[in-house]
Amino acid sequence: MTVNNTIAHQRLILTGDRERFKDLLMRRLIECGWRDQVRMLCREAVKENEGGNVNFDTLVSRVTPRARALVPDTVKKELLQKIKTHLLTPKD
Amino acid sequence: MNDNGCIHLNNFKAAKGTHPYKIVHAFFVSCTSYEARKYKATSCLCFTCGKTGPRMHSCLHCIFFGCYSGHIQDHSKTKKHFLYVDLGFGNIFCAQCQDYIYDRELTDIAVTYKLKQAKSLGLNVPYTPWLPNNNEAMALRRLRKRRLISPHTTIGLRGLQNLGSTCFMNCIVQALIHTPLLRDYFLAEKHKCKAQSSGKCLVCEVSKLFQEFYSGAKTPLTLHRLLHLIWTHARHLAGYEQQDAHEFFIATLDVLHRHCMNGVEDIEKKENGRCNCIIDQIFTGGLQSDVVCTSCSGVSTTIDPFWDISLDVAGPGSLQACLERFTRAEHLGSAAKIKCSNCRAYRESTKQLTLETLPIVASFHLKRFEHSSQIDRKISAFISFPAELDMTPFMSSHRRAVDMAGADNNNAPQGIFEDNRYSLFAVVNHLGSLDAGHYTAYVRQMKGSWFKCDDHMITRASLREVLDSEGYLLFYHKTVLEYECDVS
Repeated sequence: MTVNNTIAHQRLILTGDRERFKDLLMRRLIECGWRDQVRMLCREAVKENEGGNVNFDTLVSRVTPRARALVPDTVKKELLQKIKTHLLTPKD
Repeated sequence: MNDNGCIHLNNFKAAKGTHPYKIVHAFFVSCTSYEARKYKATSCLCFTCGKTGPRMHSCLHCIFFGCYSGHIQDHSKTKKHFLYVDLGFGNIFCAQCQDYIYDRELTDIAVTYKLKQAKSLGLNVPYTPWLPNNNEAMALRRLRKRRLISPHTTIGLRGLQNLGSTCFMNCIVQALIHTPLLRDYFLAEKHKCKAQSSGKCLVCEVSKLFQEFYSGAKTPLTLHRLLHLIWTHARHLAGYEQQDAHEFFIATLDVLHRHCMNGVEDIEKKENGRCNCIIDQIFTGGLQSDVVCTSCSGVSTTIDPFWDISLDVAGPGSLQACLERFTRAEHLGSAAKIKCSNCRAYRESTKQLTLETLPIVASFHLKRFEHSSQIDRKISAFISFPAELDMTPFMSSHRRAVDMAGADNNNAPQGIFEDNRYSLFAVVNHLGSLDAGHYTAYVRQMKGSWFKCDDHMITRASLREVLDSEGYLLFYHKTVLEYECDVS
């Protein structure tokens, strides 16, 4: 992480904008049904592993590749665009 | 998985209580203040590798931050500290159980702090899914009958008998019954009647009506009690002749609003003087009127509540064009001079209407009936309306920002986190001429599933058919709802 990146990261946390972007992302993922889809993937993964104890790590390793692929391009684009615009807008 | 934690966490809580978790959460997970954000921004770095993550965890026993992949495990081995808080989400990781642990008490703390954070940042209250309490869980176990909602269910659809020119009422009732938030309110039995005498409250009547619509029965309903109640409370609508559906809609909202307030103490009403009955929560918006004096450029602003927006249809060919014209600055001319409080004289001025606050349900009335001293006529001009509508361009804040920025700035004005999208859920149509007409309604029962309600007849319809219809009253529902923050 370069110095510039660190400053940008700190500024995002300090102003609360990081939380705002997280909130926006979460809302978009809920709206487009992504969260429900991932919830179903998790259920499947747990069912497949019947009897055995599934812990968080195995669930993450099994679900993440498909869950990532399910994120709609429009959501990625919107977030990227907004974060970019936000970071490039000069602050006083 | 239960929510009683694990033996290691319980032992920890017995020895040190919940205080360590509270501190970590309030400062590094949900920053509840600017101070906390300052700490998080500068000090949340892995003690081992100096990076900001991924998956940063904090030790619950001592002051230590570490990445999940390896660094907290090393810490566990050397220090024998086994409990960690995930700084992204606030979950507890137990290195002895090698998994995340759920604990009801700590979850409740996390929820409170998340609310505080949302409040300190002016964010919407984060969504928390419904969890049944003990009573609800018991009731669910006791009542075994379930109704499956599939894409083909027709639940919530019932025809309405025509009682002699009462199609104006039927189509409004269909639109109200299919208003998502109103349905949720009534099916959750939120109306607790405080009226003294039973059988006289229109809200109770509507509540019963929702039960009838969702009972699963398919025979058409007769709305004589509802009609009678409205006749007694809105005298001007009484009688057997055809009424205007728009007038009926407004009168119904008015009676419902008045009956909601029956027996409600003043202290329960909102402190800012605005009514918080379910009708006002869903249907009321604020219309801003700016009158600008052409001599001194002084602005006088007033904001008035509205339940619907009436739009002129002569000219523009789409709903958006109608709204564009509705919110355009208008020169009032020399014949309509207004007293300017600044100049202390009557001056020519311009007037502009914009939407200061948007209601959850935006109702548009296309003025298709023209009544003048010479002629009464119906304007059947085609006005297109979209299934999805963004109201941002018609908001006061947007107009202001556009005016200030001028032409050189194409950035979206401030509100990148605002969401003013609406989707169409009901359309009332008037067929025929001024004196011999009939009303029908299109309603959206579920996403993408439309039905035409023609008194007792309900038939499936396509979105295309809905959008191609003439349109008299258009009902849009906000696509994304924000939650009100009630943390103090």
